[in-house]
Amino acid sequence: MSNRHLFAVLCGTAAAFAAPIAYSHEIVGNRMFPVTLTIDDPGVADEISLPTISAFKTGDTPPVKELDVSGEFSKRITEDFGVSFSPTWTRLYAPGGPVMTGASGFQNLETSFKYRLYKNPEHEFVMSAGLEIEWGGSGAQGVGADRFTTYTPTFYFGKGFGDLPIGWMRAFAVTGQIGYSIPGSRSNTTFDTDPDTGDVTADTEFFPRVLNWGATLQYSMPYLKSAVVDLGLPDFVNRLIPLVEASLQTPVANTMTSGTLTTGTISPGVIYVGDSFQVAVEALIPVNRQSGASVGVIGQLHFFLDDIFPNSLGKPLFSTASATPKR
Amino acid sequence: MTRHAYILAASLPLLLPGPSAQAHAHLDHATPAVGSTVPAPKSVTLWFSESLEPAFSTIEVRDDKGVAVQAGKATVDPANRAELHVPLKSLAPGTYKVMWRVLSVDTHRTQGDFTFTVGR
Repeated sequence: MSNRHLFAVLCGTAAAFAAPIAYSHEIVGNRMFPVTLTIDDPGVADEISLPTISAFKTGDTPPVKELDVSGEFSKRITEDFGVSFSPTWTRLYAPGGPVMTGASGFQNLETSFKYRLYKNPEHEFVMSAGLEIEWGGSGAQGVGADRFTTYTPTFYFGKGFGDLPIGWMRAFAVTGQIGYSIPGSRSNTTFDTDPDTGDVTADTEFFPRVLNWGATLQYSMPYLKSAVVDLGLPDFVNRLIPLVEASLQTPVANTMTSGTLTTGTISPGVIYVGDSFQVAVEALIPVNRQSGASVGVIGQLHFFLDDIFPNSLGKPLFSTASATPKR
Repeated sequence: MTRHAYILAASLPLLLPGPSAQAHAHLDHATPAVGSTVPAPKSVTLWFSESLEPAFSTIEVRDDKGVAVQAGKATVDPANRAELHVPLKSLAPGTYKVMWRVLSVDTHRTQGDFTFTVGR
Protein backbone atom coordinates (compact mmCIF):
# COMPACT_ATOMS: atom_id res chain seq x y z
CA MET A 1 0.00 0.00 0.00
CA SER A 2 1.46 3.35 -1.02
CA ASN A 3 1.96 6.07 1.57
CA ARG A 4 -0.65 8.19 -0.16
CA HIS A 5 -3.15 5.36 -0.11
CA LEU A 6 -2.37 4.59 3.53
CA PHE A 7 -2.85 8.22 4.45
CA ALA A 8 -6.18 8.43 2.65
CA VAL A 9 -7.40 5.42 4.63
CA LEU A 10 -6.19 6.98 7.88
CA CYS A 11 -7.93 10.22 7.01
CA GLY A 12 -11.17 8.40 6.46
CA THR A 13 -10.88 6.56 9.74
CA ALA A 14 -9.90 9.71 11.58
CA ALA A 15 -12.90 11.56 10.23
CA ALA A 16 -15.17 8.78 11.41
CA PHE A 17 -14.09 9.51 14.97
CA ALA A 18 -14.02 13.28 14.65
CA ALA A 19 -16.31 14.86 17.20
CA PRO A 20 -18.82 17.29 15.77
CA ILE A 21 -19.19 19.99 18.27
CA ALA A 22 -20.92 22.86 19.96
CA TYR A 23 -24.43 23.47 21.10
CA SER A 24 -27.12 25.44 22.94
CA HIS A 25 -28.03 26.43 26.50
CA GLU A 26 -31.38 26.12 28.17
CA ILE A 27 -32.98 27.74 31.24
CA VAL A 28 -35.62 25.63 33.02
CA GLY A 29 -36.85 27.14 36.27
CA ASN A 30 -33.91 27.53 38.64
CA ARG A 31 -31.71 25.51 36.31
CA MET A 32 -29.48 26.71 33.51
CA PHE A 33 -28.27 23.80 31.39
CA PRO A 34 -25.03 25.08 29.88
CA VAL A 35 -23.77 24.36 26.40
CA THR A 36 -21.84 21.10 26.41
CA LEU A 37 -18.99 20.29 24.07
CA THR A 38 -19.11 16.65 22.97
CA ILE A 39 -22.87 16.07 23.05
CA ASP A 40 -25.74 18.46 22.42
CA ASP A 41 -27.75 19.89 25.31
CA PRO A 42 -31.53 19.55 25.40
CA GLY A 43 -32.38 23.18 24.69
CA VAL A 44 -33.43 25.34 21.77
CA ALA A 45 -31.83 28.78 21.73
CA ASP A 46 -30.27 31.60 19.72
CA GLU A 47 -26.52 31.35 20.05
CA ILE A 48 -23.18 30.97 18.40
CA SER A 49 -20.12 28.91 19.25
CA LEU A 50 -17.02 30.51 17.78
CA PRO A 51 -14.66 28.88 17.93
CA THR A 52 -14.60 25.33 19.22
CA ILE A 53 -11.11 23.88 18.96
CA SER A 54 -10.08 20.29 19.65
CA ALA A 55 -6.78 18.46 19.30
CA PHE A 56 -6.29 14.73 19.74
CA LYS A 57 -4.65 11.62 18.30
CA THR A 58 -6.96 9.27 16.45
CA GLY A 59 -7.30 5.55 17.07
CA ASP A 60 -5.56 4.65 13.80
CA THR A 61 -2.29 2.68 13.64
CA PRO A 62 -0.14 4.68 13.53
CA PRO A 63 -2.26 7.43 15.11
CA VAL A 64 -2.97 10.64 13.24
CA LYS A 65 -2.85 13.95 15.09
CA GLU A 66 -6.02 15.85 14.30
CA LEU A 67 -6.91 19.49 14.87
CA ASP A 68 -10.54 20.57 14.45
CA VAL A 69 -11.76 24.17 14.40
CA SER A 70 -15.51 24.53 14.23
CA GLY A 71 -18.37 26.94 14.73
CA GLU A 72 -22.08 26.63 15.18
CA PHE A 73 -24.86 29.13 14.63
CA SER A 74 -28.22 28.27 16.18
CA LYS A 75 -31.42 30.19 15.42
CA ARG A 76 -34.90 29.80 16.84
CA ILE A 77 -37.64 29.81 14.24
CA THR A 78 -40.32 29.69 16.92
CA GLU A 79 -39.99 29.60 20.70
CA ASP A 80 -39.64 25.81 20.64
CA PHE A 81 -38.19 25.07 17.20
CA GLY A 82 -34.71 25.92 16.00
CA VAL A 83 -32.17 25.20 13.32
CA SER A 84 -28.38 25.24 13.50
CA PHE A 85 -25.49 25.13 11.05
CA SER A 86 -22.08 23.70 11.96
CA PRO A 87 -19.03 23.92 9.70
CA THR A 88 -15.81 22.22 10.86
CA TRP A 89 -12.32 22.70 9.46
CA THR A 90 -9.92 19.80 10.01
CA ARG A 91 -6.16 19.58 9.87
CA LEU A 92 -4.64 16.09 9.84
CA TYR A 93 -0.95 15.82 10.60
CA ALA A 94 0.79 12.96 8.83
CA PRO A 95 2.24 10.22 11.01
CA GLY A 96 6.02 10.28 11.04
CA GLY A 97 6.42 13.98 10.54
CA PRO A 98 7.38 15.81 7.38
CA VAL A 99 7.77 12.79 5.03
CA MET A 100 4.08 13.14 4.22
CA THR A 101 2.38 16.48 4.13
CA GLY A 102 -0.93 15.70 5.86
CA ALA A 103 -4.23 17.12 4.77
CA SER A 104 -6.65 19.87 5.65
CA GLY A 105 -10.11 21.01 4.64
CA PHE A 106 -13.70 21.32 5.71
CA GLN A 107 -15.76 18.43 6.95
CA ASN A 108 -19.25 18.04 5.60
CA LEU A 109 -21.56 20.86 6.67
CA GLU A 110 -23.98 19.80 9.39
CA THR A 111 -27.49 21.12 9.89
CA SER A 112 -29.69 20.33 12.88
CA PHE A 113 -33.38 20.83 13.42
CA LYS A 114 -34.60 20.60 17.00
CA TYR A 115 -38.03 20.87 18.63
CA ARG A 116 -38.56 21.25 22.38
CA LEU A 117 -41.22 18.69 23.28
CA TYR A 118 -41.68 19.39 26.98
CA LYS A 119 -40.39 21.73 29.64
CA ASN A 120 -41.19 21.56 33.37
CA PRO A 121 -39.61 24.42 35.34
CA GLU A 122 -40.76 23.08 38.72
CA HIS A 123 -38.93 19.79 38.24
CA GLU A 124 -36.14 21.22 36.07
CA PHE A 125 -36.90 18.79 33.28
CA VAL A 126 -36.77 19.33 29.54
CA MET A 127 -36.77 17.06 26.51
CA SER A 128 -36.42 17.67 22.80
CA ALA A 129 -36.31 15.77 19.53
CA GLY A 130 -34.33 16.63 16.46
CA LEU A 131 -32.87 15.63 13.14
CA GLU A 132 -29.19 16.12 12.40
CA ILE A 133 -28.10 16.07 8.77
CA GLU A 134 -24.53 15.79 7.54
CA TRP A 135 -24.58 16.92 3.94
CA GLY A 136 -22.60 14.44 1.85
CA GLY A 137 -20.11 15.88 -0.63
CA SER A 138 -20.05 19.34 0.97
CA GLY A 139 -16.66 18.73 2.58
CA ALA A 140 -13.21 17.66 1.46
CA GLN A 141 -12.58 13.98 0.86
CA GLY A 142 -8.95 14.55 1.80
CA VAL A 143 -9.97 14.88 5.45
CA GLY A 144 -12.41 12.00 5.21
CA ALA A 145 -15.69 13.80 4.51
CA ASP A 146 -18.22 11.29 3.22
CA ARG A 147 -19.72 11.64 -0.25
CA PHE A 148 -23.11 10.54 1.04
CA THR A 149 -25.52 12.34 3.35
CA THR A 150 -26.16 10.97 6.84
CA TYR A 151 -29.39 11.50 8.77
CA THR A 152 -29.49 11.21 12.56
CA PRO A 153 -32.83 11.47 14.36
CA THR A 154 -31.98 12.27 17.97
CA PHE A 155 -33.72 12.55 21.35
CA TYR A 156 -32.39 14.88 24.05
CA PHE A 157 -33.22 15.33 27.73
CA GLY A 158 -32.08 17.31 30.77
CA LYS A 159 -32.95 16.88 34.43
CA GLY A 160 -31.83 18.98 37.38
CA PHE A 161 -31.70 17.39 40.82
CA GLY A 162 -33.42 20.32 42.52
CA ASP A 163 -36.10 17.93 43.82
CA LEU A 164 -33.64 16.14 46.09
CA PRO A 165 -33.96 16.68 49.85
CA ILE A 166 -30.19 16.80 50.39
CA GLY A 167 -29.21 20.44 49.88
CA TRP A 168 -25.79 20.33 48.25
CA MET A 169 -26.81 17.49 45.93
CA ARG A 170 -29.49 19.68 44.38
CA ALA A 171 -26.81 21.44 42.33
CA PHE A 172 -26.28 18.25 40.27
CA ALA A 173 -27.92 17.77 36.88
CA VAL A 174 -27.76 15.26 34.08
CA THR A 175 -28.32 15.63 30.36
CA GLY A 176 -28.30 13.00 27.68
CA GLN A 177 -28.92 12.23 24.06
CA ILE A 178 -29.47 9.18 21.91
CA GLY A 179 -29.47 9.24 18.13
CA TYR A 180 -29.51 6.75 15.28
CA SER A 181 -27.32 7.63 12.31
CA ILE A 182 -28.55 6.43 8.94
CA PRO A 183 -26.06 6.81 6.08
CA GLY A 184 -27.54 7.64 2.70
CA SER A 185 -25.40 4.92 1.14
CA ARG A 186 -25.03 1.31 2.26
CA SER A 187 -21.62 0.56 0.77
CA ASN A 188 -18.93 1.57 -1.66
CA THR A 189 -16.89 -0.78 -3.84
CA THR A 190 -13.54 0.18 -5.32
CA PHE A 191 -11.72 -1.79 -8.00
CA ASP A 192 -7.95 -2.09 -8.31
CA THR A 193 -5.45 -4.06 -10.34
CA ASP A 194 -2.97 -6.32 -8.59
CA PRO A 195 0.47 -5.10 -9.81
CA ASP A 196 1.94 -8.62 -9.58
CA THR A 197 -0.76 -10.74 -11.18
CA GLY A 198 -2.71 -8.18 -13.17
CA ASP A 199 -5.95 -9.47 -11.67
CA VAL A 200 -8.72 -7.01 -10.95
CA THR A 201 -9.61 -6.90 -7.25
CA ALA A 202 -12.72 -5.46 -5.59
CA ASP A 203 -12.81 -3.92 -2.13
CA THR A 204 -16.18 -3.15 -0.54
CA GLU A 205 -16.67 -0.89 2.48
CA PHE A 206 -20.03 -1.03 4.26
CA PHE A 207 -21.27 2.11 5.98
CA PRO A 208 -22.82 1.11 9.30
CA ARG A 209 -25.85 2.52 11.02
CA VAL A 210 -24.58 3.91 14.29
CA LEU A 211 -26.13 4.54 17.69
CA ASN A 212 -24.84 7.91 18.93
CA TRP A 213 -25.37 8.12 22.64
CA GLY A 214 -24.00 10.16 25.46
CA ALA A 215 -24.63 11.90 28.74
CA THR A 216 -23.26 14.58 31.04
CA LEU A 217 -23.12 14.91 34.82
CA GLN A 218 -22.84 18.52 35.94
CA TYR A 219 -22.41 20.34 39.24
CA SER A 220 -23.65 23.92 38.99
CA MET A 221 -22.03 26.43 41.33
CA PRO A 222 -24.43 29.16 40.05
CA TYR A 223 -27.31 26.91 41.11
CA LEU A 224 -25.74 26.21 44.51
CA LYS A 225 -25.40 29.93 45.17
CA SER A 226 -28.82 31.09 43.94
CA ALA A 227 -31.05 28.19 44.99
CA VAL A 228 -29.40 26.15 47.75
CA VAL A 229 -26.92 28.05 49.88
CA ASP A 230 -24.85 31.17 49.32
CA LEU A 231 -21.47 30.25 50.77
CA GLY A 232 -19.96 33.67 50.08
CA LEU A 233 -17.47 32.24 47.60
CA PRO A 234 -15.67 34.48 45.08
CA ASP A 235 -17.75 35.42 42.04
CA PHE A 236 -15.41 33.49 39.73
CA VAL A 237 -16.04 30.25 41.65
CA ASN A 238 -19.78 30.88 41.70
CA ARG A 239 -19.79 30.91 37.90
CA LEU A 240 -18.16 27.51 37.39
CA ILE A 241 -19.85 24.30 36.32
CA PRO A 242 -17.53 21.31 36.62
CA LEU A 243 -18.79 18.41 34.56
CA VAL A 244 -17.98 15.16 32.85
CA GLU A 245 -19.31 14.24 29.43
CA ALA A 246 -19.50 10.87 27.69
CA SER A 247 -19.92 10.71 23.92
CA LEU A 248 -20.13 7.22 22.43
CA GLN A 249 -20.80 5.62 19.06
CA THR A 250 -21.88 2.01 18.57
CA PRO A 251 -22.29 0.54 15.07
CA VAL A 252 -25.47 -1.55 15.17
CA ALA A 253 -26.38 -2.45 11.60
CA ASN A 254 -24.62 -3.02 8.27
CA THR A 255 -21.47 -3.71 10.29
CA MET A 256 -19.75 -6.23 8.00
CA THR A 257 -16.60 -4.14 7.63
CA SER A 258 -16.88 -1.73 10.56
CA GLY A 259 -17.40 -4.20 13.38
CA THR A 260 -19.57 -3.33 16.36
CA LEU A 261 -17.02 -1.97 18.80
CA THR A 262 -18.19 1.06 20.77
CA THR A 263 -15.88 4.05 20.50
CA GLY A 264 -15.95 7.50 22.00
CA THR A 265 -14.61 9.75 24.70
CA ILE A 266 -15.07 10.60 28.36
CA SER A 267 -14.51 14.30 28.90
CA PRO A 268 -14.03 15.84 32.33
CA GLY A 269 -13.78 19.61 32.37
CA VAL A 270 -15.20 22.88 33.54
CA ILE A 271 -17.43 25.62 32.14
CA TYR A 272 -17.28 29.27 33.18
CA VAL A 273 -20.66 30.95 32.67
CA GLY A 274 -20.74 34.70 32.08
CA ASP A 275 -23.84 36.87 31.65
CA SER A 276 -23.90 36.48 27.88
CA PHE A 277 -21.14 33.98 27.11
CA GLN A 278 -19.44 30.88 28.40
CA VAL A 279 -15.94 29.45 28.12
CA ALA A 280 -15.26 25.74 28.48
CA VAL A 281 -12.32 23.38 28.42
CA GLU A 282 -12.36 19.61 28.69
CA ALA A 283 -9.98 16.67 28.34
CA LEU A 284 -10.85 14.12 25.64
CA ILE A 285 -10.14 10.69 27.12
CA PRO A 286 -10.63 7.86 24.61
CA VAL A 287 -12.62 4.91 25.98
CA ASN A 288 -10.37 2.43 24.15
CA ARG A 289 -7.42 2.32 21.76
CA GLN A 290 -9.73 2.39 18.74
CA SER A 291 -11.12 5.71 19.99
CA GLY A 292 -7.80 7.48 20.31
CA ALA A 293 -4.14 7.01 21.02
CA SER A 294 -3.83 9.56 23.82
CA VAL A 295 -5.72 12.17 25.79
CA GLY A 296 -6.80 15.18 23.74
CA VAL A 297 -8.25 18.54 24.63
CA ILE A 298 -11.25 20.59 23.54
CA GLY A 299 -12.08 24.22 24.26
CA GLN A 300 -14.92 26.51 23.30
CA LEU A 301 -16.03 30.14 23.40
CA HIS A 302 -19.79 30.48 23.16
CA PHE A 303 -22.13 33.47 23.01
CA PHE A 304 -25.80 33.65 24.06
CA LEU A 305 -27.34 35.68 21.24
CA ASP A 306 -30.68 35.94 23.04
CA ASP A 307 -28.87 37.91 25.75
CA ILE A 308 -26.62 39.96 23.47
CA PHE A 309 -29.24 40.86 20.85
CA PRO A 310 -32.55 40.39 22.67
CA ASN A 311 -34.56 42.48 20.21
CA SER A 312 -33.14 41.29 16.91
CA LEU A 313 -31.02 38.23 16.20
CA GLY A 314 -31.62 36.79 19.66
CA LYS A 315 -35.37 36.23 19.44
CA PRO A 316 -37.43 33.71 17.49
CA LEU A 317 -38.32 34.62 13.91
CA PHE A 318 -41.94 33.88 14.70
CA SER A 319 -42.85 34.47 18.33
CA THR A 320 -46.03 33.02 19.75
CA ALA A 321 -45.54 34.82 23.09
CA SER A 322 -47.74 37.76 23.93
CA ALA A 323 -46.09 41.14 23.50
CA THR A 324 -47.34 42.02 26.98
CA PRO A 325 -46.44 39.28 29.46
CA LYS A 326 -49.10 38.11 31.87
CA ARG A 327 -48.44 38.93 35.48
CA MET B 1 -21.65 26.99 -3.56
CA THR B 2 -20.18 25.14 -0.61
CA ARG B 3 -17.32 27.62 -0.33
CA HIS B 4 -19.80 30.50 -0.48
CA ALA B 5 -21.85 28.92 2.31
CA TYR B 6 -18.79 28.64 4.51
CA ILE B 7 -17.73 32.21 3.83
CA LEU B 8 -21.22 33.40 4.67
CA ALA B 9 -21.28 31.38 7.90
CA ALA B 10 -17.83 32.57 8.92
CA SER B 11 -18.75 36.19 8.21
CA LEU B 12 -22.00 36.13 10.14
CA PRO B 13 -20.61 37.48 13.42
CA LEU B 14 -19.12 40.43 11.55
CA LEU B 15 -22.53 41.37 10.17
CA LEU B 16 -24.17 41.57 13.55
CA PRO B 17 -25.00 44.90 15.18
CA GLY B 18 -23.09 45.95 18.27
CA PRO B 19 -24.12 44.21 21.46
CA SER B 20 -26.44 45.72 24.02
CA ALA B 21 -25.40 44.95 27.59
CA GLN B 22 -28.50 43.02 28.62
CA ALA B 23 -29.15 39.43 29.55
CA HIS B 24 -31.40 37.12 31.51
CA ALA B 25 -31.92 38.40 35.05
CA HIS B 26 -30.30 35.87 37.38
CA LEU B 27 -30.41 36.12 41.16
CA ASP B 28 -27.09 37.55 42.29
CA HIS B 29 -27.65 37.56 46.06
CA ALA B 30 -30.37 37.98 48.64
CA THR B 31 -31.14 39.19 52.16
CA PRO B 32 -31.75 36.91 54.02
CA ALA B 33 -29.01 35.01 52.18
CA VAL B 34 -29.91 31.88 50.23
CA GLY B 35 -29.96 28.88 52.59
CA SER B 36 -29.14 30.96 55.67
CA THR B 37 -30.49 30.84 59.24
CA VAL B 38 -31.35 34.30 60.55
CA PRO B 39 -33.39 36.18 63.17
CA ALA B 40 -36.91 36.98 61.91
CA PRO B 41 -36.40 39.42 58.98
CA LYS B 42 -38.81 42.28 58.27
CA SER B 43 -38.40 41.93 54.51
CA VAL B 44 -36.80 40.00 51.69
CA THR B 45 -34.57 41.80 49.23
CA LEU B 46 -33.22 40.23 46.04
CA TRP B 47 -30.47 41.64 43.82
CA PHE B 48 -30.45 40.51 40.19
CA SER B 49 -27.88 40.58 37.44
CA GLU B 50 -30.07 42.83 35.26
CA SER B 51 -32.61 45.64 35.64
CA LEU B 52 -36.22 44.53 36.07
CA GLU B 53 -39.62 45.51 34.74
CA PRO B 54 -41.48 46.44 37.97
CA ALA B 55 -44.96 45.48 36.71
CA PHE B 56 -43.93 41.91 35.94
CA SER B 57 -41.53 41.11 38.78
CA THR B 58 -42.89 39.41 41.89
CA ILE B 59 -41.80 37.71 45.11
CA GLU B 60 -43.86 35.26 47.12
CA VAL B 61 -42.73 34.01 50.53
CA ARG B 62 -44.44 30.98 52.06
CA ASP B 63 -44.03 29.15 55.34
CA ASP B 64 -43.67 25.37 55.62
CA LYS B 65 -47.49 25.01 55.51
CA GLY B 66 -47.66 26.96 52.24
CA VAL B 67 -49.17 30.09 53.79
CA ALA B 68 -48.08 33.34 52.17
CA VAL B 69 -46.30 35.64 54.64
CA GLN B 70 -45.48 38.71 52.58
CA ALA B 71 -47.08 41.92 53.87
CA GLY B 72 -47.42 43.70 50.53
CA LYS B 73 -46.47 43.72 46.87
CA ALA B 74 -42.91 43.38 45.67
CA THR B 75 -41.40 46.66 44.49
CA VAL B 76 -38.38 47.48 42.39
CA ASP B 77 -36.03 50.05 43.94
CA PRO B 78 -36.23 53.18 41.74
CA ALA B 79 -32.58 53.91 42.46
CA ASN B 80 -31.45 50.40 41.51
CA ARG B 81 -33.80 48.63 39.14
CA ALA B 82 -32.00 45.34 39.70
CA GLU B 83 -33.17 45.30 43.35
CA LEU B 84 -36.53 43.75 44.25
CA HIS B 85 -37.98 44.09 47.73
CA VAL B 86 -41.00 42.69 49.57
CA PRO B 87 -42.11 43.40 53.21
CA LEU B 88 -42.94 40.46 55.47
CA LYS B 89 -45.39 39.81 58.26
CA SER B 90 -43.96 38.86 61.64
CA LEU B 91 -42.29 35.48 61.14
CA ALA B 92 -42.27 32.62 63.62
CA PRO B 93 -39.29 30.24 63.76
CA GLY B 94 -39.32 27.84 60.83
CA THR B 95 -38.29 27.42 57.21
CA TYR B 96 -39.59 29.79 54.54
CA LYS B 97 -39.55 29.47 50.77
CA VAL B 98 -38.94 32.52 48.60
CA MET B 99 -40.33 32.19 45.07
CA TRP B 100 -39.37 34.92 42.63
CA ARG B 101 -40.46 35.55 39.08
CA VAL B 102 -39.03 38.49 37.16
CA LEU B 103 -38.95 40.07 33.75
CA SER B 104 -35.72 41.77 32.77
CA VAL B 105 -35.88 45.03 30.83
CA ASP B 106 -34.92 43.14 27.67
CA THR B 107 -38.09 41.02 28.17
CA HIS B 108 -36.44 37.79 29.28
CA ARG B 109 -38.48 36.02 31.95
CA THR B 110 -36.73 34.02 34.66
CA GLN B 111 -37.87 32.41 37.86
CA GLY B 112 -36.42 30.60 40.84
CA ASP B 113 -36.78 29.81 44.50
CA PHE B 114 -34.74 29.24 47.64
CA THR B 115 -35.29 28.81 51.35
CA PHE B 116 -34.12 30.50 54.53
CA THR B 117 -34.71 29.55 58.14
CA VAL B 118 -35.79 31.73 61.03
CA GLY B 119 -33.99 30.50 64.14
CA ARG B 120 -35.48 30.17 67.62
